[in-house]
Amino acid sequence: MGGDSKYLGLWYVSPYIIGLLLFTAFPFLASFYLSFTDYDLLSTPEWVGMKNYEKLFTRDRTFDKSLKVTLIYVFTTVPLKLVFALFIAVVLNYRLKAINLFRTAYYVPSILGGSIAIAVLWRYIFADTGLVNMGLALFGVEPINWFGDPNTALFTITLLRCWQFGSAMVIFLAALQSVDKSLYEAAAIDGAGQWQIFRYITLPLITPVIFFNLIMQTVQAFQEFNGPYIITEGGPLKSTYLLPLYIYDEAFKSFDMGYASAIAWVLFVIIMVLTLIAFWSSKKWVYYAGDKRS
Amino acid sequence: MKLTVLGLALATTALAGTASAADLRMSWWGGDSRHAATQEGIKVCGEKYGHNVKPEFTGWSGHFEKVATQIAGRTEADIMQINWPWLPIFSARGTGFADLNELSGTIDLGQWSADQLAAGTMKGKLNGLPVSTTGRLFVFNKTTFDKAGVPLPTTWDELIAAGPVFKEKLGDDYFPFEATKLDATLIVTLYGTQKTGKPLIDPETNKILWSKEELIDAINFYQTLVDNHVINNWKAAQASGVKALHEDPAWAKGKIAGTYQWDSTYFKINDPLEDGQELAYVDLLSQDGQQTPGIYRKASMVFSISANSENKEAAAQVLNCLLNEPEGIAAMGTARGVPSSTAAREQLLANDAIKPVQIEAQAKVLAAAGPAIHPFMEHPDVRSAMQDNLELFAYGEVDAETAADEMIYGIEEALADIDS
Repeated sequence: MGGDSKYLGLWYVSPYIIGLLLFTAFPFLASFYLSFTDYDLLSTPEWVGMKNYEKLFTRDRTFDKSLKVTLIYVFTTVPLKLVFALFIAVVLNYRLKAINLFRTAYYVPSILGGSIAIAVLWRYIFADTGLVNMGLALFGVEPINWFGDPNTALFTITLLRCWQFGSAMVIFLAALQSVDKSLYEAAAIDGAGQWQIFRYITLPLITPVIFFNLIMQTVQAFQEFNGPYIITEGGPLKSTYLLPLYIYDEAFKSFDMGYASAIAWVLFVIIMVLTLIAFWSSKKWVYYAGDKRS
Repeated sequence: MKLTVLGLALATTALAGTASAADLRMSWWGGDSRHAATQEGIKVCGEKYGHNVKPEFTGWSGHFEKVATQIAGRTEADIMQINWPWLPIFSARGTGFADLNELSGTIDLGQWSADQLAAGTMKGKLNGLPVSTTGRLFVFNKTTFDKAGVPLPTTWDELIAAGPVFKEKLGDDYFPFEATKLDATLIVTLYGTQKTGKPLIDPETNKILWSKEELIDAINFYQTLVDNHVINNWKAAQASGVKALHEDPAWAKGKIAGTYQWDSTYFKINDPLEDGQELAYVDLLSQDGQQTPGIYRKASMVFSISANSENKEAAAQVLNCLLNEPEGIAAMGTARGVPSSTAAREQLLANDAIKPVQIEAQAKVLAAAGPAIHPFMEHPDVRSAMQDNLELFAYGEVDAETAADEMIYGIEEALADIDS
């Protein structure tokens, strides 16, 4: 390669950089511009200044409702998913027979992901005559109207996301396996029980990974679309109408791409603020190797 | 002799080849029967003219958004099945689709009446060819009604009287009718239209024609249907998740014994029925002192050619074949209802390819009277204003007066947005 060798790395990463610029950076910046316009997809965007944001914050009740539902969803889903993923990871960290088979089996839901097929499956599982109600009937519980009741519909969507715990679990599992075994031995010699070992040794040592999973899962939860779109279409009474659904409807049903962009930017700011808060708070509870506190 | 054969071959090639072999795409929405028929149609018509036509088909849900995205990105299919109310959305100035008048050398426009062509015309440009005329009709499961010992209703009062009988004789989970979401909205609209003699939105002025009291009365009628076990309540009907009627097992089993649907959906709603079930169309249910039967009639879907297509002439050949030529007509059959094209209708009638029940339904659609329907009645924002507030009412979150206030506010705001 001779003199070109110093550019070799750049050549290797260029497909990614081009993709990033074209399919992420450009739409990102374009949407910011569009959020100040009236744009119906079919004609030229028309500059309207702060009008979209003004409507959003002063007289859009659907946005208020959708934002509230989204926050409830995120603040329910993320802790549930993290706790569940960590619990399974701890179980799978034991030396059991056929442990690799279990690890693979538990990861399968994440491979299937939140796909359309799984969302449809979810619809059948939680239907009035579905598997869940059949199971409850065995214990004499009356069938629950999961999708028709605004109080339970969001819960079904939440469970769908929790069910896809595999990726978080694998990361937790890797972190658990990297904990120095001599610490466990020392604690055991000192008379610490299983819970104390987990609470005072394991948990602090994997806080960087908990923090990573927290950020990633929060960002992903704010972008949830497939589940509510396929299973409930945002209903009933907009109880599962997450902001991405609202953005989609405004953009592709009402053809108000400018307004949809404004909602998307508000969503972006919310995610940013929460992420910054998480980073700020991490100084108090995340411990890194070599950290003076540890 | 050889020269004659060669000459004929060349002439045929020249005629068929006014558009050289092209790669085309055609998109549509529908159910299984329509998908099968259309795939066969584009196969035979593509082969006839030497074009390769790639199908792009989906169910109804999400198709509008798909077409919108494609048109915005100028990647839409060459031939598209477009819902009639979408024409003013995609082509307010008539330039959103190809002007089919300019392709009249290839497409035999004489197969449609002037009125039918006018329905597909925007600002003087023929943007779409009506595939059929359609209307919302009442269709009942005769088998279930027979089982309940109730004659098919002809009036709202008779339908309301059937509710308690179904409950008593067949059980709590049997209903003579269904109306949730869009269907519920359309029932409310129909009832109000019959009573007032006016459409909800004036096609001339884009203004709401009903008074608040008239709207409240129509909303309360929905509750009357629920209270009398005519329809399942909104919340209970949601229990199986979001499903189209034809996907609902209760419909297939005959437990839901009536609906208000486009006549063009006969196969879609008939195909899933379990063996032994029979559907029957009836005239629009009437009420005492009504001003009009209130038929919701419109040009059904239209076929359009993309304004951005590089092969408009080839697309026109395929389109004409599908709608007006024997091979295409035979393949397409009545998967989109009774065709508007005279040639198609005559061929299908001659071959007994139109079922008597479809002829009967079509006759009911064409015979019934009603005020003109505004295309904006199907605008997503107008529908949302109606449906969201009716849902709030159905769940007991608001009373009829508040629902009416919110509907009026939402519709007026939507119309103002559309106008601007």
